[in-house]
Amino acid sequence: MPKASTFAAGAAAILLPLSAVAAPESFTIDSFHSFPHFTVGHLGMSQLYGRFDKTSGKMTVDTAAKTGSVDIAIEAASVDTGDSERAGRPRTRDEHLRSPDFFNAQEFPRLTYKGKTARWTGDSPAEVVGELTLLGVTKPVTLKVEHWKCGPDPRTQGKRYMCGANATGSLKRSDFGMKFAIPGVGDEIHLLIQMEAIRD
Amino acid sequence: MQGGVAPFVVALVVAILLQRFNLAGLAIAAALATVAYFLNGLTLEPLTVTRKVILLGLAAAAAGFLADALLKPSRAIAVGLPLIGAACAAWAFWTVLAQKPVVECVRLGGGIALYAGSMVAMFGALRAQPVRAGAAGLGLGLGTGIAAILGASATYGLYGIALAAGAGAFLLVQMVAGRTTAAGAAYTFPAALAGALLGAGAMLLAELAWYALATLLLVPAAAFLPMPQKQPIWLQSIVVSLYTFAAAAVPWVLAWRYAGASGG
Repeated sequence: MPKASTFAAGAAAILLPLSAVAAPESFTIDSFHSFPHFTVGHLGMSQLYGRFDKTSGKMTVDTAAKTGSVDIAIEAASVDTGDSERAGRPRTRDEHLRSPDFFNAQEFPRLTYKGKTARWTGDSPAEVVGELTLLGVTKPVTLKVEHWKCGPDPRTQGKRYMCGANATGSLKRSDFGMKFAIPGVGDEIHLLIQMEAIRD
Repeated sequence: MQGGVAPFVVALVVAILLQRFNLAGLAIAAALATVAYFLNGLTLEPLTVTRKVILLGLAAAAAGFLADALLKPSRAIAVGLPLIGAACAAWAFWTVLAQKPVVECVRLGGGIALYAGSMVAMFGALRAQPVRAGAAGLGLGLGTGIAAILGASATYGLYGIALAAGAGAFLLVQMVAGRTTAAGAAYTFPAALAGALLGAGAMLLAELAWYALATLLLVPAAAFLPMPQKQPIWLQSIVVSLYTFAAAAVPWVLAWRYAGASGG
């Protein structure tokens, strides 16, 4: 019996840390370092860049099982294309983007994206498939994870664990009912998402 | 094209065809349906505020037609339609109002309902005066449309201009024919309700100042001013339209000044 209990204790000491690593880990999106950016064609001349300033959400990662999920909420009224001064005009571009012509932020204050990892490259997720809800319309949007890194947060001497990612994707805004000013303002939207998340 | 020319052409055809049946007022519904087709494709999913507004505008034409056919001009129409208009406003904007704190919800909802009810009541008083009603619709559509554009919503601007196109077609048919055609609730109810809800939407969903919205009530009020009754219809139409254009300019100026005053 003493031998058996010793074996059990030893096995537990080995296996418990492994099971902790294998369990899905929950993360909270760091709103100060997570910004969905987008580009959209303007008059066929250039790609205009914009971003949303307020994003929140959660994600889970299970590296051992190669699974993960993300659940993001984006404040529509935080859209920012760098044009917030009226300068003699009746409205700024950002005000126009918040209006019913585009994001209709009063009626639909949040965009949401819920997705799951679909493909992994080694220990890094490579692709997320999910659904974007914009203007009350939900459509599938796939994100390609181009950069992924997890590790101790250097600002906390390793006391906190975090992950960071850059992902890209694209969508047609007309699919979500946002048809104003097409084609002058492009239909195809390119997404460039920068995200950091702190382990709970 | 989407907001002005196409709705005007369709509304004009409807007004010409239905004039003999005293239903030229359905030109308003034709204009709204046309612009909605171009901007939204007539889909109702999801049922957004904007789609509710257009749906209510079209339903108001049907309700007005039934009221004209089934009810004699009476207190029921004079009181009932404004109350229905106020209730429609509350329903149309409920999804937005419900997201706000209670006090703000009540203040905004009450204000919008009062505005819509008042607009319907004032237009209702014009239903037996088709020239004045036509000019009021023209002024309200232009007033709302341009104020909405200044208030940051070109979509609501296009809908407002389409409303003006429908009213303009209704008025033009009378000017060319040299005789009036019945307005009735089939014209005044959708014109007033759609105009009021579009203006309220530009305030609630975009940046139109509340006091600019309130002054749009001056448009139907201006249509009551004296006009040369013994002159030809075309001249009467021009005179009353000038009144309503002048009234419509008030919210434009206020919307522009609000934009400058509130900064960016």
